[in-house]
Amino acid sequence: MNNQPILRVDRLSKSFRGLHAITGLSFAIQPGSITSIIGPNGAGKSTLFNLVTGYLAPSAGQIWFQGRLITGMPTNRIAERGIARAFQIARPFRDLSVFDNVRIGSLFGKAGPRDVAATTARAMQLAAIAHLADRPASALTVGQLRHLEVARAIATRADLLLADEPCAGLNPTETAAMIDVLRRIRASGVTILLVEHDMPSVMEVSDRLLVLDAGRLIADGSPSDVANNPQVIEAYLGSTEPEDTESQTAEPAIRQGSKI
Amino acid sequence: MKRDQVLAVLACAALMAAAPILLPPFYIRVGQLMLYSAALGVAWSILGGFAGYASFGHAAFIGVGAFAAGLVEDRFSTLPPPLLLGFGLAVGGVACAALSAAIAYPILRLRGTFFAIAMLGVSHVCAELNNNLDFLQGSLGLNFPVVTPESIAPETFYYELCLFTGCAVLAVAWQIRRSRFGAGLLSIREDEDTARMLGVPTERYKRIAFVVSAVLTGLLGVIYAHSLGYITTDSVYRDDTNLNLIVFSLLGGMGTLFGPVIGAFLLVFVTQVVLGRLLDFHLFATGLLLVILVLAAPGGVLGFARTFSFRRRANAE
Repeated sequence: MNNQPILRVDRLSKSFRGLHAITGLSFAIQPGSITSIIGPNGAGKSTLFNLVTGYLAPSAGQIWFQGRLITGMPTNRIAERGIARAFQIARPFRDLSVFDNVRIGSLFGKAGPRDVAATTARAMQLAAIAHLADRPASALTVGQLRHLEVARAIATRADLLLADEPCAGLNPTETAAMIDVLRRIRASGVTILLVEHDMPSVMEVSDRLLVLDAGRLIADGSPSDVANNPQVIEAYLGSTEPEDTESQTAEPAIRQGSKI
Repeated sequence: MKRDQVLAVLACAALMAAAPILLPPFYIRVGQLMLYSAALGVAWSILGGFAGYASFGHAAFIGVGAFAAGLVEDRFSTLPPPLLLGFGLAVGGVACAALSAAIAYPILRLRGTFFAIAMLGVSHVCAELNNNLDFLQGSLGLNFPVVTPESIAPETFYYELCLFTGCAVLAVAWQIRRSRFGAGLLSIREDEDTARMLGVPTERYKRIAFVVSAVLTGLLGVIYAHSLGYITTDSVYRDDTNLNLIVFSLLGGMGTLFGPVIGAFLLVFVTQVVLGRLLDFHLFATGLLLVILVLAAPGGVLGFARTFSFRRRANAE
């Protein structure tokens, strides 16, 4: 049973009034991994997260979490199963302190027995914001808010963390700190599904990359495989034909991590 | 609320319970109105302050509670007075629970201003029905049987009753505030979608908060109606009550436990005692006072005190 994927998406489609945000998407995530989803703007990454968390209902297809079908379940029930999300634009409970923000995560979230005080403390520790516990959330910097977002999500004792661009807008030091946090979270046994535009971070932290373009999966593999995949380069930088030279100049651009 | 805070509240309540011995009847009535208003403010705050669903129509529950109790007590007026009051409270509470549970699902799908206005509509619809359905006797008026023991002056009796009920409502709100349920309500106020994403059963929690708030408001309506002795539609379905319930929290501190208490005490005292003699002037002055207070202290009295002490601490460091 150990080979059972923690998340399995099966022929998932979502269209908004004829606009196909996601078309026939299938993949499976193994427990304990960090998988990154990359793709140009509008590729369907955020839509995918909205579908997995139940915020949107798919037009077709199924989502399985730990062997159980979760499509069509209300968002809070999916959270009770053990999926948490950290938003791209941090959405803290502004009037509450950092501690209270994280505490709400540990009061709710995954169903089952809980030790609220211990979980809250551990989540703040993992996300490296324990020293900010008494600050009001409204007083945090953008970088700190991202950490709070992650802390609150893992305080739910989730088995799967959906992290939506946790490094966007952070400076290199902050990005390194966030990568470190993600690594520690994975080491604590949480599977991570990451959407991230910051290519160096993605390359560094991911076990596997899924590349979406226009709602379809165009590549799936280890970071180095994907970075050399001509289809991916084309999706990011436009068609390479007829000159072959363009693709060669494009490839290092991805490696070196221009933000896409 | 810490232990010493609980003790402080109990001490205040004990002092207030003894106050009627010293006060002239007029001030006892003012005190009764303060306590009644504070209790209403706290009941309103369970939904409006904690969960952020500011209702602009809670007078509906005062009216429904009062008329349901009055109509039933009229039928059973031969029962002994304490039993009759208890019976009336039970009927008023059940009626409000039924009404709020019935409208909870559709109305709580609305957010912010839309919810507030829809509740105002509920209040007006109830008032109209109450006025126009003959068996409800809204336009004719309804007499309440006397339940005051003969040994106690009525104003003292209702003062003490409001004090007791107010403490009970505050205790309910306090227990909610410190529970998991209360934390869920706060998260709904802050960001409902995020709350749901964290596993808070937002729909269920909102409905429970709505029903609890409505029932407590209804019970207070029953007591208020008894203190008046005779009510018509206009004496319980009052738009100034609808408005004041929001004002209490705004003045004292939105979403806090004691905010509505402070706000109600302040507003009732100012309008009844300070401005009571300036009949033509007092609505204008109340309005002006409100504008000044809200501009000067958007977080209410408690919010103001908090920023003040925060600044002082920052200066000390």
